Amino acid sequence: MSQLDILLIVLRVAFGAFVPLCFIAVLVWMERRGAAYFQDRSGPNRANIFGFRAGGLVQNLADAVKLITKEDVVPGHITHKFYFVIAPVIVFLIALVSFAAIPFADVLILDGKEYIMQAIPTDLGILWFLAVAGFAVYGIILAGWSSHNKYGVLGGLRAAAQVISYEIPMGLAVISALIVYGTVNLTEMVQFQGQLLFGFIPMWGVVLQPLGAIIFIVAAFAETNRTPFDLAEGESELVAGFHVEYSSMKFGMFFMGEYVAMFTSSAIIVSLYFGGFQIPWLATDALVNNTRLVSFLLMLLLPVLALLFGAWMSKNNRSHYPRENDPRVREANVYAKIMWGLVIALELLLVIFLISGSGGMAARILTAGLQIVTFLVKVTFMCFVYVWVRWTLPRFRYDQLQKLGWQTLLPLSLLNIFVTSAIVVALS
Amino acid sequence: MSGKIKIMERKGKDLYERLYLIEVFKGMAVTFGHFLSNLLDNSKLYVRHYPEVKPEITARWRGRHRLTKYEDGTMKCVACFMCQTNCPAKCIMIEAGERVDGRTEKMPVRFDIDLLECIYCGYCVEACPMDAIRMDTGIFSVTGDERKSFVLKITDLLETPGAFTEEEYKKGGA
Amino acid sequence: MFADGLFLGFAVLAVLGAAGLVVFRHPMNGAMSFVVTLISLAGLYALLSAKLIFALQLIVYAGAIMSLIVFIIMFLNIQPSDLPKEETKLVYILGGLAVVLPIGLFLAKIVKSLPLSSTAILGNDFGGVKQVGLLLFKDWLVPFEIVSILLLISLIGAVVLAGKKEAVK
Repeated sequence: MSQLDILLIVLRVAFGAFVPLCFIAVLVWMERRGAAYFQDRSGPNRANIFGFRAGGLVQNLADAVKLITKEDVVPGHITHKFYFVIAPVIVFLIALVSFAAIPFADVLILDGKEYIMQAIPTDLGILWFLAVAGFAVYGIILAGWSSHNKYGVLGGLRAAAQVISYEIPMGLAVISALIVYGTVNLTEMVQFQGQLLFGFIPMWGVVLQPLGAIIFIVAAFAETNRTPFDLAEGESELVAGFHVEYSSMKFGMFFMGEYVAMFTSSAIIVSLYFGGFQIPWLATDALVNNTRLVSFLLMLLLPVLALLFGAWMSKNNRSHYPRENDPRVREANVYAKIMWGLVIALELLLVIFLISGSGGMAARILTAGLQIVTFLVKVTFMCFVYVWVRWTLPRFRYDQLQKLGWQTLLPLSLLNIFVTSAIVVALS
Repeated sequence: MSGKIKIMERKGKDLYERLYLIEVFKGMAVTFGHFLSNLLDNSKLYVRHYPEVKPEITARWRGRHRLTKYEDGTMKCVACFMCQTNCPAKCIMIEAGERVDGRTEKMPVRFDIDLLECIYCGYCVEACPMDAIRMDTGIFSVTGDERKSFVLKITDLLETPGAFTEEEYKKGGA
Repeated sequence: MFADGLFLGFAVLAVLGAAGLVVFRHPMNGAMSFVVTLISLAGLYALLSAKLIFALQLIVYAGAIMSLIVFIIMFLNIQPSDLPKEETKLVYILGGLAVVLPIGLFLAKIVKSLPLSSTAILGNDFGGVKQVGLLLFKDWLVPFEIVSILLLISLIGAVVLAGKKEAVK
């Protein structure tokens, strides 16, 4: 193995492990501020370090400190302590591992060698996700059962029944997507989505499989136990469901696991139906062959975006009441300076790509970088949809939930398979 | 029992509503409108920037208690125990003693209000025949480091000034 | 070397899990140790580079079937007093060992006497989704469909049996 091989392995594994973890902070922040803005509130905006609030992100640090320093209670009535302790670990770990087979950039070709940009370079793709995601239910069942508590058991039962029954429409929706793409490998699927339909529409899964996309997204919401399918922790009837007996960082693991699962399922939705790392109309080859043009456009685009963001920040990052020598304005000025410093650094970086030109190693690296950014932007937007739905829709009743799963989604996904395979056979 | 029976038309039966997704998207459009307008200009949020901007307290607001005084500075309370008897939370503890300023015969030597017990119902104010206890200090945030600090002594009660003029207080309906 | 270590680890875990299934008194412990067996078996399949079987083992057996069983165990909410008393368990285990051990040793001897030359490394394409799919749907289509019809029959049978009970009521 050359040094390059080792560097890339380290980079990919680090990406697969740390990006979901970093996104926990972003998602918790997005959930809180998003919820606040959906409800015309302002959300957490007071926690600060030397007056820097980072738009409320510092609140997460305070929460982390709180959760870590809290007393870790294992109630005395719990007989199966091993399961009680291991359940949150299972939930968290499974959510993290299921991200491993999702590609975050196209196959990177350096020095004639191909590097598959996944944490685990397997071609199992979607099968890996289905295989690993099925284990998350063990964590929930064990947590609910070992809590030895009515609410815990009821929450665990609900969550488990829901996950098991929504795995079926999810799997069937995936099957119809597989018929279209002709592969289980997620990298190949996303490469397929880089093509153009009729020459001008990006061939995203959602264009080819609208019904499948809807079924898959609904099932993914149910799999992650998010609203409107969060009956497992319906506060009004079950207190907190399966994690009612958990405190301190054991609760924190469930909390983080939920957000990692949200990130992972957003990533899989994006990879299956929204073109994954593909930039619309700019497939990998187009990016590699037009490095000069792309980096020139980016150099133009960056300052414009920075200007808009700066204007938005100076308008909104200040106190909305009479206050002398407003510290928030000073804060915003510091942020603006940091932002412009970043913009200048990126511009200098892009100058290098502008000089080095197309086709070479630099072009490949730029392409991979752009694709990673695209992937993360898409995933972030999908996570925003999760938040958006959570603060819009009320919770389902339990019978409605099972009815939707078995009587609506299951027949629809079967129908979708038949229609899709008929069309694919007719066209080929 | 016979009344006018009105049968409400049950919504959500036609296909358009039973599809559910269209209605979901409509709801999401509404919430997203709120989100976007708040994101672009957060000065329009329906929030009070609380510790800096205090809420307006009306004269009818039942805040922390105080004991009122005559113009010459002597207290109005005559230790009749009406408020203590009437208190549903049993948070008032009065000990009567001989009056030294010559107005009447009795006055409290001890008048404690345990704010952790108090439910701020205002019955003590209603019960007082001398208008000696009022809840018009305008203090709505009662905080402390220890339980002892929540027991108000007679000196605290006498020292706290009212937040309103006599006219405003009377107009408030007391 | 690394693969040998992995094989040893997975094999030991599989056997231990199976033993746990038999030995543990509480059904949840039994079920969880069986899950360990199933996952180790999936690991063994992966070592044999049978990717599809690895994924299917995880999805179907370890993921779906066992989670249903664990779900049922949770649903029944078994208390310690509900468990049967197993005073003669040790006798049964020892007796079972006494019966099984000679057979196992005999089998081990047979396996040892097999010629070693037949172990050839198959191509890189072995065990992938496409290869197994082509085999199933070209060479073994009729048996495959017969098995699926068998499954359908059992499904209908289950529905009929479940429906009958209600009719009696």
